[in-house]
Amino acid sequence: MNIEKILNGTELTIALDGRLDANTADELETEIVNSLEGITGLIIDLDKLEYVSSAGLRVFLLTYKKMVKQGEMKIVNVNEDVMSIFEMTEFTDILDINKKEENK
Amino acid sequence: MIRTMNIELKGRIDSGNAPKIEEELLEQLKDNGKEPVILDAAELNYISSAGLRVILRIKKTYTDLSIINVNSDVYETFEMTGFTEMMHIEKAYKVVSIEGCEEVGRGANGTIYRIDKDNVVKVYNNADALEDIQHEREVAKLALILGIPTAISYDVVRVGESYGSVFEFLNAQSFAKIMVNEPDKLDWCVQEFVKMLKIIHSTVVPEGKLPDMKETALKWAQRTSEELPAQAGEKLIRLFEEVPRDNHMIHGDYHTKNLVFQNDEVLLIDMDTLAVGHPVFELGPIYNALQGFSEYDHDVIIDFQGYNYDTATTFWKKFLALYLKTTDEKIIRDVENKARIVGYSRLIRRTLRKGDLTLEKTQKEIALWKERLLELLEVTDTLIFDEPADEINNNELEIEAKAENLNTVLDFVDKKLEAVGCSPRTQMQVDLAVEEIFINIAHYAYAPGIGNAIIRADINDNNSQLKLTFIDRGMPYDPLKREDPDLTLPADERDIGGLGIFMTKKSVDDISYEYRDGCNILVVKKNL
Repeated sequence: MNIEKILNGTELTIALDGRLDANTADELETEIVNSLEGITGLIIDLDKLEYVSSAGLRVFLLTYKKMVKQGEMKIVNVNEDVMSIFEMTEFTDILDINKKEENK
Repeated sequence: MIRTMNIELKGRIDSGNAPKIEEELLEQLKDNGKEPVILDAAELNYISSAGLRVILRIKKTYTDLSIINVNSDVYETFEMTGFTEMMHIEKAYKVVSIEGCEEVGRGANGTIYRIDKDNVVKVYNNADALEDIQHEREVAKLALILGIPTAISYDVVRVGESYGSVFEFLNAQSFAKIMVNEPDKLDWCVQEFVKMLKIIHSTVVPEGKLPDMKETALKWAQRTSEELPAQAGEKLIRLFEEVPRDNHMIHGDYHTKNLVFQNDEVLLIDMDTLAVGHPVFELGPIYNALQGFSEYDHDVIIDFQGYNYDTATTFWKKFLALYLKTTDEKIIRDVENKARIVGYSRLIRRTLRKGDLTLEKTQKEIALWKERLLELLEVTDTLIFDEPADEINNNELEIEAKAENLNTVLDFVDKKLEAVGCSPRTQMQVDLAVEEIFINIAHYAYAPGIGNAIIRADINDNNSQLKLTFIDRGMPYDPLKREDPDLTLPADERDIGGLGIFMTKKSVDDISYEYRDGCNILVVKKNL
């Protein structure tokens, strides 16, 4: 999995590319934990994410619990397959999750 | 009988006293003819070049000269100056007592005792064991270089009339002891026992480095055949002769006292019987250690390994099934028969050579082995069998259950799916199930140790359903009993635990669990 970070003032965009699973979730957790200081807006861009397992969901939830104290968190550009996982676990009810716009 | 001249060297020999000592030595030797001369250097602390020249001059006249009990400083001088290559010079060995020491292992050539918290000594049965010790050090080094986890001795000592080699051994426990003290670890022991054997048997040994076990085994067959009716005897020898040469390593004396667990690591010890050959020549002696030796008198194994005959029988059966990677009784029985033929041949020859043949018990043992050997010869036409490949067929994968292996498992399952074709969504859901289940096994089944998982992937005849079977021999655990997480809770109260198995259930069409024969078996079905 590839992790790309773009910082714009106090707004941070993290774009994920590949598979977020038991073996890559730790890496993401470390990356995020070390970048959140002073961030008021976090955008997690899943445009190129193909797969997420419970290990990945755990990182999203942890991050949300941190961000809720200091600002907002949004998950964007989620493809249909990954979206089905968020729906299955009802993460869609608790996090701000946005589908990928088709034919943009 | 040869008379030996034994002379003591004491204190210091330097340019100051060398001429005087030379004179004294020549005086003592003046009546000596061609008899061997032994200089005992136990109390020699120092020797200068003047002293070395004295020894050279004496050696010219008395050619069969050796120096013994040399302390390590003086030995270094002899070594540096090349004296150790010119004559027999023997180091002084530290003397170690094994009185009251715990026996931790026993092999063909010696017994291992713990001498203190960190060290053990292997005492050789043969009193004149220096060559054996040298041999064992060399093969242990070779094995280590070839990738076999083993221990190498760091010192040679005197133990009573015998020699011993000393190994560092922190907290090591033999498998035999683990099986006695922690009976619930039997399955783990079987697994590690097989794993180590596979490492040994997959190791290719460079030509000429180790003896060929087939030659040794042929001696067993030849001697034993003399005890059998002519036709059976000929068949026995033919079966042994037909086993092809093999350049893979075999241990030669593989049993549960020669495998130790030390600091989370399994080590192989007692390397002096290391050889190359077909694995049937390994299975025979393994059968003997667990069954053959104690087949007539079941108490024999308690003295030998500590556990009882029933435990040994269970171990042997589980071992063979796991080693052959099959539950097919016919295949297991067939290989067992081959192993027993090799085993009985060795037992009979060994007992004829070393046993007390005047004892009724010994005679009855031999008779029993012979009878069984004859039965087996009736139903066996070859000793050859194929060692199972790492994947018994491409429907099954056995792999160490650790997170790093997840991708290998996923590749294995995904290849099956690719072959029949399925939607990306279906593939993702299958991946989810595989990941959650495999990671669960990796994290919990064998904790804090590690063990293997078997994953079977079967697709039905009309390609409409994938069936995945996950098998581990870890702690009994039914993940389906786990309560589903409460998804109605707000984010800050959500608990992430239990989500994985919940997602698995949601992603597949059927999931079931059972615990059978010491195995957790989880079966997942997914419509394609």
